[in-house]
Amino acid sequence: MPQQISPGSYEQGELELTFRDPAGQLLLTQHHALRHVHPAAVEDTLAFLASPLCASLELSGDLIPSKVDDSAADPQKISNELWLKHPRIDPISYPWEWTVAQWRAAAELTLRIAKQAIDAGWVLKDATPLNVLFAGPRPIFVDVLSFERRNPKSSVWLAYGQFVRTFLLPLVAAKFLKWPLQATLFSRDGYEPAMLYKALPRWRCLTPDLFDVITLAALFERSSGKRQEARRPFKDTDPELAKHILHKRIDRLGKQIRHVAEAGSESQWSEYTRSANHYQAADISSKQEFVRSVLERCSPAHVLDIGANTGTYSLLASKSGAEVVAIDSDEAAIEMLWRAATQQKQQITALVANIARPTPAAGWKNREQLSLLERLTGKFDLVLMLAVIHHLILREQLPLTHIGELCASLTHRWLVLEWVPPSDPMYQEWLRGRDELYGSLSESDLLNAFSPFFRVLDRTELGNQRVVLLFERKAGEASPLEAGPA
Amino acid sequence: MKRLLLLIPLVLVLVGATLLFERPAYAYTDPGTGLLAIQAAGSALIAVGWYLRRKIYSILHRGSAKSQSKENSVATERDGSPLS
Repeated sequence: MPQQISPGSYEQGELELTFRDPAGQLLLTQHHALRHVHPAAVEDTLAFLASPLCASLELSGDLIPSKVDDSAADPQKISNELWLKHPRIDPISYPWEWTVAQWRAAAELTLRIAKQAIDAGWVLKDATPLNVLFAGPRPIFVDVLSFERRNPKSSVWLAYGQFVRTFLLPLVAAKFLKWPLQATLFSRDGYEPAMLYKALPRWRCLTPDLFDVITLAALFERSSGKRQEARRPFKDTDPELAKHILHKRIDRLGKQIRHVAEAGSESQWSEYTRSANHYQAADISSKQEFVRSVLERCSPAHVLDIGANTGTYSLLASKSGAEVVAIDSDEAAIEMLWRAATQQKQQITALVANIARPTPAAGWKNREQLSLLERLTGKFDLVLMLAVIHHLILREQLPLTHIGELCASLTHRWLVLEWVPPSDPMYQEWLRGRDELYGSLSESDLLNAFSPFFRVLDRTELGNQRVVLLFERKAGEASPLEAGPA
Repeated sequence: MKRLLLLIPLVLVLVGATLLFERPAYAYTDPGTGLLAIQAAGSALIAVGWYLRRKIYSILHRGSAKSQSKENSVATERDGSPLS
């Protein structure tokens, strides 16, 4: 049984995020991720950390750096426990907030590392998207306890099943069944082959990419049914052949992932920037100029772009030197943003998320994976909320005061907000006869609602009557939402 | 060769069926049942290819080795000393 962490061995307020792995647990502190390695796994972990494989993965940026942390060990104990300290990647992003392209990047990273590990005499004992975080647009493998020594005579990769269930089959379901990747929030260990075998058309299950991982796997599973109790060890294989088999298996997985995670489709919003006919070129240019001047004036280090769309303003903020978190509920738009950030090497973490229905907490006791607001609250110097407010008012039916309060919890200094008046064509499109309720809202209603939290520092009116405002948060007006633990 | 090819599906099914009984100890992630079995079937397929390739290589190599040794023996007979 894994040793439990004594409550005194870490500070109050730290979060224990992972605990399923018998080799250790992960805690989140304000600035670091602390990993407690249980005594039985200490020797192998230290050997891995000293290995050329670890050094090369850290150097390439594929693996999170680790440092042995003596200060975290419980001084009361003369024990062989080990504490590792990793830099914290903020915000944590979960696979149910990634686009198809991000899933593919995370899967390819996992397979690349698995292959290198095999060559170096190690193996990944688990292979799930939860082992990967995005630091900006780049995926990073964060679980150093996933590495264990490989039996050179074994041609079986025990984590193969988990990779198929948690990486490949959700992508298959997203592509052929239109099951949203966001639904993986509800399935910790992915999808079983039998589940997709039932849901997919028979002919689809017979295609070369899916025949083994769905049809054969489901049939073998069904026929094994009651024989689960019989267990015996695997037979030894010639070491050279074993390595060859493992390589081939990983190559095949890579091919299957590439086939099911092709380039994404377009949506109404991913085309919004190009198709927006309520914006003249001069208005766009004035808006960009205003945002650019705000970024120069405020020099924010951390920016949150709510409703980022394809990332025009996220890229502006990132190029001004800020680390940006960009969220939008439109997957196609976020995919374009992520690709742009990757190509232009900009520090933008792109997440598929809706600020009006934020990703909930998940997992055991709702404490394994944090909610979106727990991860974002109080983390930003500047929040961009451009052309979003009419969505929140008309589609989400949120009162202006609630929106003001949320903004105040997210930024500790500035807010740039675009006011969309009722005369705007987009506003009119969603008004849908509710003129009495929303038809007469004005900029002064916005200012009144936001006045408990913010004061206006600057404003510019665009030719299309939209107004872009720079707010500064009033001192001492901490929102109740800021009491979160993250 | 034809016989050998006919044997491949049989080998796959047998190995796959054998592994249905096998569940490794000390795996902390669930290796699955069907997914473990298809690993075995896939391994058998790859192994057949691997052995065949080796066999073909050794046959080709043996052919060239034979002609090499034949040339060597002819040369030895001709001048009484082996070629280096």
